[in-house]
Amino acid sequence: MSRNGNVPKIRQGLSKGVRQWWPYYLMMAPGLIFFVIFHYFPIWEAKIAFEQLRIIPPNIWVGIKHFQTLFSSPIFWQVLANTLILSTMKIVFFFPVPIIVALLLNEIRGGAFRKFIQSAIYLPHFLSWVVIAGVFIAVLSPSDGAVNDIIGFFGMQPVSFMTDTGSIRWVLVFSEIWRSAGWDSLLYLAAIIAIDQELYDAAEIDGANRWQKIRYVTIPGIVPTIATLFILNAGMFLNADLNQVINFSNDVVRSKIDIIDTYVYRIGLQTGEYSLATAAGLFKAVLGMLMIVAAHLLSKRLTGKGVW
Amino acid sequence: MAAHNVRRTPLERLEYAIIVSTLMFLVVLTVQPLLNLLAISFSDPGKVAGMSGLTVIPNGFSTEVWDLLINNSAVQRGLLNSIFITLVSTVLGVVLTALMAWALSRPGLPGRRIIFVFVLVTIVFEPGIIPDYFINKRLGLLDSYWSLILFKVVNAWYLIILVRFFEEVPKELIEASELDGANPFQIFWYVALPLAKSALATIALFYFVFHWNEFFRAMIYLNDQSKWPLQVVLRQFVVEGDKLAMVGVVDSNNYTGASQINIRALKAGMILLTIAPILAIYPLILKFFTKGTMSGALKG
Repeated sequence: MSRNGNVPKIRQGLSKGVRQWWPYYLMMAPGLIFFVIFHYFPIWEAKIAFEQLRIIPPNIWVGIKHFQTLFSSPIFWQVLANTLILSTMKIVFFFPVPIIVALLLNEIRGGAFRKFIQSAIYLPHFLSWVVIAGVFIAVLSPSDGAVNDIIGFFGMQPVSFMTDTGSIRWVLVFSEIWRSAGWDSLLYLAAIIAIDQELYDAAEIDGANRWQKIRYVTIPGIVPTIATLFILNAGMFLNADLNQVINFSNDVVRSKIDIIDTYVYRIGLQTGEYSLATAAGLFKAVLGMLMIVAAHLLSKRLTGKGVW
Repeated sequence: MAAHNVRRTPLERLEYAIIVSTLMFLVVLTVQPLLNLLAISFSDPGKVAGMSGLTVIPNGFSTEVWDLLINNSAVQRGLLNSIFITLVSTVLGVVLTALMAWALSRPGLPGRRIIFVFVLVTIVFEPGIIPDYFINKRLGLLDSYWSLILFKVVNAWYLIILVRFFEEVPKELIEASELDGANPFQIFWYVALPLAKSALATIALFYFVFHWNEFFRAMIYLNDQSKWPLQVVLRQFVVEGDKLAMVGVVDSNNYTGASQINIRALKAGMILLTIAPILAIYPLILKFFTKGTMSGALKG
């Protein structure tokens, strides 16, 4: 603002703006208040990661002491390793499945038949993890579950998958596939449908068979989508699902699937080590944020599309 | 569909048969476990023991399990709590999200970009469970339905979807209404909302599924069991294997032998009861979610 006659003009503009726009700010107010209270206050609240809590305030500022405790704790490293292992397993074994499902679905003639298949395989995506855990407990039951009925049919001993440290991570990966592979195929199917039909016709004229068309037309056509979703998945790397793990956990297998989120929940809300838990939560939040932002930038650079 | 799909050689027929059977196998893999639970829940309770997890046909027929479940007070309360929490959350969520989205979609609004960034930050950075718990505690929301209802009452993702939708509303329409003397609230109510019916229905379904499936917050914020939604009741019974939670179902005195069999059937029925509302609106979900995902997912 310079010292000539600009100031009144700006003021005038401002007050006119306020007069014109106040109804819209009023409309936004409840939403904005919500964001401030439930998303921004917790950020401020997270300062207890740097404090020693006392029953009678004020708390004492202790700097990074809780972070040091955290990083010198073997359990924390175990939990971090579990998170990375689970996320890696999900990326390697879950990620390709929806792509394959979409390629298969695309080969199906007859809209009604395809719709039937889709409506069936999309369903689990809309069920809660509590329900899915319930279904898996039933299916994997050593005494009367479907999987062990099949294993028994081949004359092998039943396996108690839910309480087996060797298999529990695979149970998590497979339940993720059961839940979302069908639904996620929708994204790839949308990308396939957007491919120019003329490319298929041209391939047809060149005498391409089904596999050649998939290999030289369909897959190249959805590579940008695959890249975007892969980067997005990588960005969400640390978000091994709390809701999933908490429902598939039990005392026997906990050491294998305890992730940062369940660790925070346990030492924070169950043991009452609020500061330490908040420090772990913040560590994850900052790392996660960096990865998402990196994924976004990478996606923009490689495919021209951002994540949001 | 397209010409490139015409079957010509026996090999291609075989290929097609393999593709169809692979997909049918996926369908069975998805649906069979649920049908098995359905069969078990309607079987004669005395015959449930030893029933295979593979069967989808009830062994005998009885509605005893469903009668027990529906008459169980914990289940009834859970159902009512779930319905209450989900409906209030959905209505409040849609109204507040629509209001904010409409305002944010107005092109000239001063501070629009800043508010956008303000919202996006909350998607990328979440400080975690403990600070969230302290906020709820500080607001006195522990043991209150509001700790669940207010959770993401404006969901940042849904907000952005709706803003994008409202941005498509033709400018001329709004200017014409202004000339007719409508104030911004009237324009919102009589112009924007009717135009956005399908988008609002989509958002409403999003909120409905989101809140119906929520259990974690109910678990940590509601100590009072009489406020538990169905998901937590289910969890206590099926995942935690807490039989006591359901013992009221059967008279605890003759809770032996035959009743023990009921536990498996009861769990099956309980799971199905919890997903019943999702199944009921599933055709709507498919219609709106699929369309939304197909058209909007990859715009970036």
